Amino acid sequence: MIVSSNDMVRITADQDKTASPLSRLLRSDAFASIASPIVILLLWEALVRGHLLDARFFPAPSSVIVELITLIHSGQIFIDIAWTVSRVLIGTLLGAIPGLIFGVLLGLSPVIRMFVQPAISALYPIPKIALFPLVMMIFGIGDTSKWVIVGIAVFFQVFFSTLAGVVNIDKIYLDVASNFKASRWQTYRTIAIPGALPFIFTGLQLGLGMALIVVVIAENFGTQVGVGYMIWQSWQVFEVRDMYVGLIVVAFLGYCFQLLLLRLQRAVIPWKKAGGT
Amino acid sequence: MPLERPQTVINSGKPAGKISIRNLGKSFSLGETKVTALTNVNLEVDAGEFICIVGPSGCGKTTLLRILAELEAPTQGEVLISRDNPAVPLSSMIFQESSIFPWMTIRNNVAYGLKLRNVPQTEIDRTVDHFMKLAGLDGFADAYPHQLSGGMKQRASVARAFSNDPEILLMDEPFAALDEQNKALLQEELLRIWSETQKTVVFITHSIDEALVLSDRVLVMSGRPGTLKAEFKVDFPRPRRVYDLKADPTFGKLGRDIWMLLREEVTGQ
Repeated sequence: MIVSSNDMVRITADQDKTASPLSRLLRSDAFASIASPIVILLLWEALVRGHLLDARFFPAPSSVIVELITLIHSGQIFIDIAWTVSRVLIGTLLGAIPGLIFGVLLGLSPVIRMFVQPAISALYPIPKIALFPLVMMIFGIGDTSKWVIVGIAVFFQVFFSTLAGVVNIDKIYLDVASNFKASRWQTYRTIAIPGALPFIFTGLQLGLGMALIVVVIAENFGTQVGVGYMIWQSWQVFEVRDMYVGLIVVAFLGYCFQLLLLRLQRAVIPWKKAGGT
Repeated sequence: MPLERPQTVINSGKPAGKISIRNLGKSFSLGETKVTALTNVNLEVDAGEFICIVGPSGCGKTTLLRILAELEAPTQGEVLISRDNPAVPLSSMIFQESSIFPWMTIRNNVAYGLKLRNVPQTEIDRTVDHFMKLAGLDGFADAYPHQLSGGMKQRASVARAFSNDPEILLMDEPFAALDEQNKALLQEELLRIWSETQKTVVFITHSIDEALVLSDRVLVMSGRPGTLKAEFKVDFPRPRRVYDLKADPTFGKLGRDIWMLLREEVTGQ
């Protein structure tokens, strides 16, 4: 506590302020992050009930929740989630592994970079989903084409992040490896990959976001299951509540992916804990 | 970032001493202009000798060391390094900045060279424990570098080079970034480890005091293009203690002589 008067300033230890549990709850981060969505939902509900908001496009949150509970009871929602998650995960693996390999290879070899990067950079601006018709022509309309299109989307994110990570590794670490006579493979394993890991995780994070976007669109074609299919189907039959359930589920999946990735990152990059390099 | 190592330095012709540098020169082009970093460097270093090279900044000291470390190739002349034991690495470098890998624990950093050579784990453990203890890193084995102070990181860097057991240690102003107390402590520890292992050391510094405290011989480099200008024998008895040495009048006199020479280079007169 600081008490200031004309002739002196007195700085003393703070008294232990014991705030009431209620005021502590109101000030907590968790409360703030939950409060604002709840306020919005309540407002929404009120507007629909008061016929100020068109329930055909913006069904009352309560009716969406009822629909969600119905779908949970029937178990259908879990089947859709399982399919979408499996497509995302398989596609992510399919894209992340080559993305990592190419990123490390190009990052450490200026020669390979000179030859390969222009080609990859030229493909990058193409919206990935625009390749989907071609992918379906090649791989059929089944699940393979969905894995491939998710893989393509993830590949670019992981590739560019890994490349940036490897190129940004402080040159001194490569000098040390060279001075210690590390072989090429040892340099990849002990310097390039661990040094680029923080960037690689950023790439995975962006990649999973892309994967979800792509899979939702791709599930419009050649399948009868998946959260994306559910959203498109509800559009065709004008069942807006199902659409909202789909949107909630997709948002929830995205959140879970990011949470898992964060956990993984903490386990794999223990030296990043303090936020240092 | 090239992985390709310059293939230059080691020649099978037996040099007179441990390291023999003959008419060495290094120039590189910076855009349009050609910069000569080193010219006409000649030096013989005996096995087990501790030499220090002092010089004004930008004189090519580090370039010379990087050539000895096989990180860069000279553009003129040659370096001959005799190899006494093919089973151990020829040289290890201790860098100016913190070159400790942030993604490895201190133990794994210190073990780096041995792990690359696939030394049996029990031997790695023994060597690493030994040098961590000598470098005052006891109890920090499982810490990551970000949890350590600059001084501790540099200790780890020294321990990493020593446990790699090279024939030659190349040190590039390793203590420049440290505070006075840590510097004095690490200098004494370095001398102790060195006297135990009897390695050949080429130590680069801009500090005359540091050169006098550590070395058997101080070589003074000229400003760019760098070349060796003079040499001073330093025969204070060993083992040395930093502040005992600094109290010795010959220390002050020798230091002044070197400074007079260096001063010409720094001021360019």
